[in-house]
Amino acid sequence: MAARCSPGICLSVIFAAMIALVAPSQLVVEWRRGDSPQIAELFRRRPTGADLRNLESSLENACRIGQLVRPWMQWARFVIFEDAGDNAVLGRGGWFFYRPAVEYLVEPWSPEGEQAQGNVFDAIVSFRDDLAKRGIRLLVMPAPNKASVYSEMLARRAGGEGGPVNTATRDVLARLRRAGIEILDLFEVYERAKRTAGSPAYYLAQDSHWSPEGMELAAEAAAKRLLELGWVEKGSTKYQTRPAPVQRYGDVLRMIRAPQVERLFEPQRMNCTQVVDVETGRLYADDANSPVLVLGDSFLRIFERDAPGSGGFVAHLARHLGFSVSSVVSDGGASTLVRQQLARRPALVKGKRAVVWEFVERDLRFGTEGWQQVPLPPAD
Amino acid sequence: MAFSSHVFLFYFLPVLLALYHALPARRLAARNVLLLIAGYVFYGWICPWLTALLLGMTVANYALSRVIAGGCTRGGRLAATAGAIALDLAVLGLFKYAAFLESNLNSLLRLSGGDALPILRIVFPVGISFYTFKAVSYVVDVYRDRSPPARSLLDFACYVSFFPQLLSGPIQRYGTIDAKGETAPVFADQLAHREHTRSAFSRGVALFMLGFAKKILLADGVARVADAVFAAASPGTMDAWFGALAYSFQLYFDFSAYSEMAIGLGLMFGFECARNFDAPYRAESFGDFWRRWHISLSSWLRDYLYIPLGGSRSGKGRTYLNLMIVFLLCGLWHGAGWTFIVWGAWHGLWLVVERFFGRPALHAFLPAPLRTLATFLLVTIGWVVFRATDLADAGRILAVMFIPQPARGGSALLSAVIYTRGHLILMALCAVLTFQPVQGYDWTRRLGWAGIPVLVVLFALALMTMFAQSFRSFLYFQF
Repeated sequence: MAARCSPGICLSVIFAAMIALVAPSQLVVEWRRGDSPQIAELFRRRPTGADLRNLESSLENACRIGQLVRPWMQWARFVIFEDAGDNAVLGRGGWFFYRPAVEYLVEPWSPEGEQAQGNVFDAIVSFRDDLAKRGIRLLVMPAPNKASVYSEMLARRAGGEGGPVNTATRDVLARLRRAGIEILDLFEVYERAKRTAGSPAYYLAQDSHWSPEGMELAAEAAAKRLLELGWVEKGSTKYQTRPAPVQRYGDVLRMIRAPQVERLFEPQRMNCTQVVDVETGRLYADDANSPVLVLGDSFLRIFERDAPGSGGFVAHLARHLGFSVSSVVSDGGASTLVRQQLARRPALVKGKRAVVWEFVERDLRFGTEGWQQVPLPPAD
Repeated sequence: MAFSSHVFLFYFLPVLLALYHALPARRLAARNVLLLIAGYVFYGWICPWLTALLLGMTVANYALSRVIAGGCTRGGRLAATAGAIALDLAVLGLFKYAAFLESNLNSLLRLSGGDALPILRIVFPVGISFYTFKAVSYVVDVYRDRSPPARSLLDFACYVSFFPQLLSGPIQRYGTIDAKGETAPVFADQLAHREHTRSAFSRGVALFMLGFAKKILLADGVARVADAVFAAASPGTMDAWFGALAYSFQLYFDFSAYSEMAIGLGLMFGFECARNFDAPYRAESFGDFWRRWHISLSSWLRDYLYIPLGGSRSGKGRTYLNLMIVFLLCGLWHGAGWTFIVWGAWHGLWLVVERFFGRPALHAFLPAPLRTLATFLLVTIGWVVFRATDLADAGRILAVMFIPQPARGGSALLSAVIYTRGHLILMALCAVLTFQPVQGYDWTRRLGWAGIPVLVVLFALALMTMFAQSFRSFLYFQF
């Protein structure tokens, strides 16, 4: 009888060990760190549903065993199943895509259906009107999702005749144009540029952002539009570029949160160029008194504030305009947060003649804090 | 609290098992009190005030059952029974159906030019459909003299709040057993006297580990396919079928995993429960399917709805009507929405058709494997309606499934999300496991040494996967 019971006893002991060791080991880790036990939070205040959810997720995130296991498990899933995790989608030829950006393109979406945090049309039109009261013009420049420009690198069949992958975005842009908003259509810019034989990749394979070449194309197009519209005149400052190659892993690859996966790939090499003032020999720097203000998200940060520095959209825009510009950058917050910053510091728009507003395409739906109307304080 | 959550697995369960088994076996009442407290902690973890609702329902049903059993007049017993059922259904109606009724009423008001009523915003108490049905079966059984009333409020409260079954069943009855199903001792008897054997405990462990692995490794994996397809604007025909099949697998592996984990947990605390699934996708007809899928619900509907309506004893027409009523209500029980009602009607209709043409099935002329396949595909079509957000959404997906067309616009990108190596492997694995005959419920009964490494590896893999992926709740929590 005892012999017949042994597999069951063995199983029960193993099971008990597997479930009972996590909490004590976490207590030891916290004790060695000198922290009070996180589970004790349960008894510190009267529990509400929200408190309990928070406690649950912090227990899960802080779990040391989980932290040790997670990257290895993610690595195994990537190698065996080509599963890039919750935030990334593996495309073709070693390209990675940011999952929410892909979901934006795959799922039906209508700006009217998602009013919880404001409306994209009202927000943009009211911002344009607020600026106009100060004599400032607005140029809106949505940065395409990588999958909108390189859909064939995500799914072979998307390169066929299924039509454009960003129909919702095109509808929104058309409506904005009808409302008199000046739009710089980078989708068209990249589409045209891609048709040129031997054209470089305008987006980075491991990253959600544009490549140095894609960024320079956008900067050139933005400068050209501002000058063509006559909102500003070309300045006299002479800039030159100097090579500043950068090598690093892309943000989407890092979102897999497994260094073991990163090591399967070479870091991406980027042929960046820094912008240098010919006269002073100094790297490009913003000028708060510039007639042009640029607002945007991480598309403005990359190469500009990140390595190599002074080599991003803002610097190259200045190079093409012939004068320094000023900029306000809010990572992931170009829909509302960046305008809230502006509203808190209205001096930033003083003396401006044009505002270039960049936001990534997926923010039309997923923008942080939605598309709230943020009135600018009245001009002095 | 979900069985597959970090806090349940690593905090709640080990502490409860340790406390429970530290109490002397002869102190069964103390163990029952501990289980009662555990049930309320488990339920209150979702939202603490929900425990007041659970307590209120428990006390009211217990009090009315005492009246029913108290030997008053037949009319008094009937009134008390009706009162208890009305109370249970009123609470269920308020929390689950009020908003649905109101939105439909508003649609009618708008059509007639009237002003719409403000929609009530009520938190849906998870598990209410399950514990309401447990309470109804209890008072009806007491009324029918098939079950004695609970010995004490503690016993009844233990029954209602028994945490393994609280959120998603199985709907085990208090004082009776499903005569046509596989028998397990009556719950009331188990409350009064139960044995805690090592073999039962280890079988419970095995079932829990197996269920956990099914949930994390299979159900959560294919869920990503189903979610992506059902969310896509214009999927292609192949995508739609792939997504529909993924949802069929997800639903089965998710819910049967929950049931196995619940039965396994029960066994760890000395309670036996009959199986809730019996290879349902191997069914050769809809009648067969409902003898295998969510058995505790289908037998509940049979005993407390279909038979009281007259069952099949009052002529063919009445039988067909009864079947339709039962399955429309079965659909409505699953959710307050037209999609669930249409899903119920789909099943009811096929059961009527099977009755009309004579059993076993309309497609009985086919060889057995094709009968199984045909039934599976028809059930899958039903699941599309069940999964859709509304009838228009269901129509959209079904149209794509049956009118061949390629993916359009951004949905062309869907292939990168769904036809990944991992998803193809998982789907193939699900297909094999779905149609193979060995069921975990039976396999764990004769667990030998060979099974131990299999279970340990599966459980360890599932735990590690749980650490690496975001949490997904069990599907049946929403019902």
